[in-house]
Amino acid sequence: MEQFNNRNVADNGYFMVDIEDYPTDGMGKFKRIIKRTFRLELFVGLWVVMREMIKFDIHTISYPAEKMPIGPRYRAVHEMKRLWESDAERCIGCGLCEKICISDCIRMDTKIDEDSRKEVSEYTINLGRCIFCGYCAEVCPELAITHGGEYEQASEQREHFVDYEYMLTPIDTMKANAQKEFEGFGSITPHEDERVKKTPLAY
Amino acid sequence: MSKLVNFTIDGVSVEAKRGETILQVARANDIYIPTMCYISKTTPCASCRMCVVEAEGVDGFVLSCNTPPTEGINITTNNAQLEVERTNIMKLYDVNHPLECGVCDKSGECDLQNKTLEFDISQQNFSTREQHRPIENWGLINYDPALCIMCEKCTHVCNEVIGDDAIDVYFGGYSSVIVPKNADKLDCTFCGECIAVCPVGALVSSEFQYKANAWELSKVPSTCAHCSAGCSLEYETRNTSIDNATDSIHRVKNNFEFTSLCGAGRFGFDFDNQAKSDSAAFAKARTALSAAKAIRFSSIITNEEAHTLQLLKEKLGIKLFNEDARLYSSFMKAYSSVSGKLHHSGSLDAIKQADGIIIIGSRVATDNPGVRYALTTASKHKGAKIVYAHPIEDVLMKNTMTQFMKYEAGSEEGVMALLANELLKDADLSEQERAFFADLDLGYLEAESNVGDDELKLMTKNFARSTKRVLIIGSDVFAHTSAANIAKLAAMIEKYTDFSLVVIPSQVNTLGVSLIAELDIDEDISDVVGYNAKGSFVISSLEAADLAIPALNQQEGTVVSIDNQVLPLNVAVSFEGFTLNDLAKHVGVVKENTIDYTKELNTAAGFQALEFDNLENYLDKYGKDIRGYILDEVTCEMNGNLESITPLPEFNGTVIYHSNPVLQFNAYTNITKQLERDTTLRGSAQFAAAAKISDGESIEISFGSSTIKRVFKLDPELKGTVALNPTFDINVAASEYRFLKSNIVRSV
Repeated sequence: MEQFNNRNVADNGYFMVDIEDYPTDGMGKFKRIIKRTFRLELFVGLWVVMREMIKFDIHTISYPAEKMPIGPRYRAVHEMKRLWESDAERCIGCGLCEKICISDCIRMDTKIDEDSRKEVSEYTINLGRCIFCGYCAEVCPELAITHGGEYEQASEQREHFVDYEYMLTPIDTMKANAQKEFEGFGSITPHEDERVKKTPLAY
Repeated sequence: MSKLVNFTIDGVSVEAKRGETILQVARANDIYIPTMCYISKTTPCASCRMCVVEAEGVDGFVLSCNTPPTEGINITTNNAQLEVERTNIMKLYDVNHPLECGVCDKSGECDLQNKTLEFDISQQNFSTREQHRPIENWGLINYDPALCIMCEKCTHVCNEVIGDDAIDVYFGGYSSVIVPKNADKLDCTFCGECIAVCPVGALVSSEFQYKANAWELSKVPSTCAHCSAGCSLEYETRNTSIDNATDSIHRVKNNFEFTSLCGAGRFGFDFDNQAKSDSAAFAKARTALSAAKAIRFSSIITNEEAHTLQLLKEKLGIKLFNEDARLYSSFMKAYSSVSGKLHHSGSLDAIKQADGIIIIGSRVATDNPGVRYALTTASKHKGAKIVYAHPIEDVLMKNTMTQFMKYEAGSEEGVMALLANELLKDADLSEQERAFFADLDLGYLEAESNVGDDELKLMTKNFARSTKRVLIIGSDVFAHTSAANIAKLAAMIEKYTDFSLVVIPSQVNTLGVSLIAELDIDEDISDVVGYNAKGSFVISSLEAADLAIPALNQQEGTVVSIDNQVLPLNVAVSFEGFTLNDLAKHVGVVKENTIDYTKELNTAAGFQALEFDNLENYLDKYGKDIRGYILDEVTCEMNGNLESITPLPEFNGTVIYHSNPVLQFNAYTNITKQLERDTTLRGSAQFAAAAKISDGESIEISFGSSTIKRVFKLDPELKGTVALNPTFDINVAASEYRFLKSNIVRSV
């Protein structure tokens, strides 16, 4: 952590690159063309590739078979979380994500269910409009809507990206205790429990 | 009365009229005093104690909502002690109030939420044991006692403004709740005012609950399109659902601080016409219109439509039929011939302010709830004496009326003559008028109408101290054979006494139509285009029309209310189709939009040359009604003379009275989702015996030329031999008197 807080670039091994000034007059430009043409700079680059190939020191991954790990705060396609206690959906249908969404891409239909509770009957996010600003995750009082790491926006089905069921943590994942909490915008800050003031219960 | 009290609030010199409280004066002078339970249209609930202020020289705090100021007193509305007091009250309100704002319907427009934030209550210092309080379902209303803060606004409004007196506080300290009064289940007229005034989400519309949030809804200010009271309301619209992006009305709200709304306005909002545009039908309508000899139309249209129809009449030389408006118009003409004024002098506001009221010829609680609420307000707040004259007693008016004057069906003319005779005893009448009253055979009238001399004497006694009096005449009399004479008698009373007169128009815009269109007597001819009415080609905003047109919540236009006020209607739901204006364009009556006619309405009848877009539609923060405009007063020639009373008709046997159940008015309320549809013929045990039928039996009723099928329901609250027959689901000719002799047989 210490090294990131140190803003003195000279200490971290940074140095100025010695770059020649660009020519401004016609003669200078002409000289540059001649120089570049006959110095065979292209083969310098090709030699680097050739050298790494022979050494088998591969820095690329074979996407899409392989994928880079994504940061916990990355804001990609939304996820809908479940409660740890009951595996029930966290979303209470308060409509705040719908209200705060600046690209107006979230819509929900709610109704009263048999137990006189509010139930979300339909929920969609139009990812074609979404700008992944993260406001919905930030405003959500239940940590129900969050961003996930699923950044690939291609599928055979348009519905895959707007379907509530698709975003919801699968019940099997939940049963396996494998739901990942979002650590980015809108998530609980560390030591939140210590900051909560409790209601007196002295009756 | 005009004595003013001078005092200061926060150093500002203010004046109070007699009877005004400190809070009222403060509000009128834009000085803020926080309240939780105060509502302008009722007496103070005085349950929240938030409105406390300090008065110089008085120990402790003073409740500003129910304390009138004294001369020269200095009032402080805010200091550190008051702030502590109020903050503590707010903290107590928040004890155990469920933190479910996320799902609560009221969130975003909640008084408790607002005040909690205003007083910055970020933590809870008090606590008490949580109780189990299940949500109760009261039909159209859901009650959640856990959310209830016991402000008592609902009970005050129900009792003092509506008159149902259906809910009450069950006192029990912290476990106090609102309960249906003297009943297990709420039995009321379901006006929904309690929902409107509830500052939290305790009382909510069960249909709307959890459907949408306050901030998602667009507000469309408009005017209720169900009866002639012309109540202001706001349609709240939003996309219907995820799959249907077109707007629909989700709920209706009103400015509950100053106005009231009945259940039909509040819950009966989904009467919009969803028919699609149909060019073939439009072409047929053009053909039908050019071949038409007459247009028959209903009064459930705007002034602009009526004006267009009048222009069509002039252009095409056709006749206009509208019996409802024609009868109203001739009634008012007879009135004008004696009073010299085109419009009646009273208004709902005059009723609210009155201390003596006679109402005749209307089952008012269901005919026009707006008038009923005005009567309740007058009775509860002004101590008004109310004489309710009608052949059938109405349980809904029981709490409001002072004296019930029962008369025989059909004897309205006699009753009016008796009333006029009693009220004009000491008036300065002309020779001719004096002769009319001298000629009255009082004995005959009293015997036939069943209104005794003692009843009239009692009325005079009741009115002994009254100074502001109103005579209300209902729609029973318009189709009476002696309607003209009744109107003249009413005009006499208005002219020679301190009575103002209110004539209740039968439909939403009967008054407007009667002033705009020149109507002909309805004839049973062929080639009649029906406009929201029967005809050989029907143009209507209801289902099964030959050409669909927008309903009153889908178009801009104006209607004239019972207050002679021209009120604007706005588009809450879009309509993709044709209007009368499109049709009129094809026959040479050309204006781009229907509302271009607003400024051309008949100025001879008191309309002003104002553009529709210049009409306001709101109530200001002091409760002043700034909606549309009031018709100009128009003077008429006074050439009418009273005619001698015709022998009073007799209605024997099984008589039915055309009267709708609560919240139902017409075919439009009939198609709404939430309003109950009770189509039974309701009668007393006495009626059942006379008709030889019993409770729950299917019957066939014949009256005039029609025969309808109904189920008979025995109503223990009714008396006498007149049964109530609903008309909202059938077509009843407006030219028929509302009491009818009928023939009832059991259907097989």
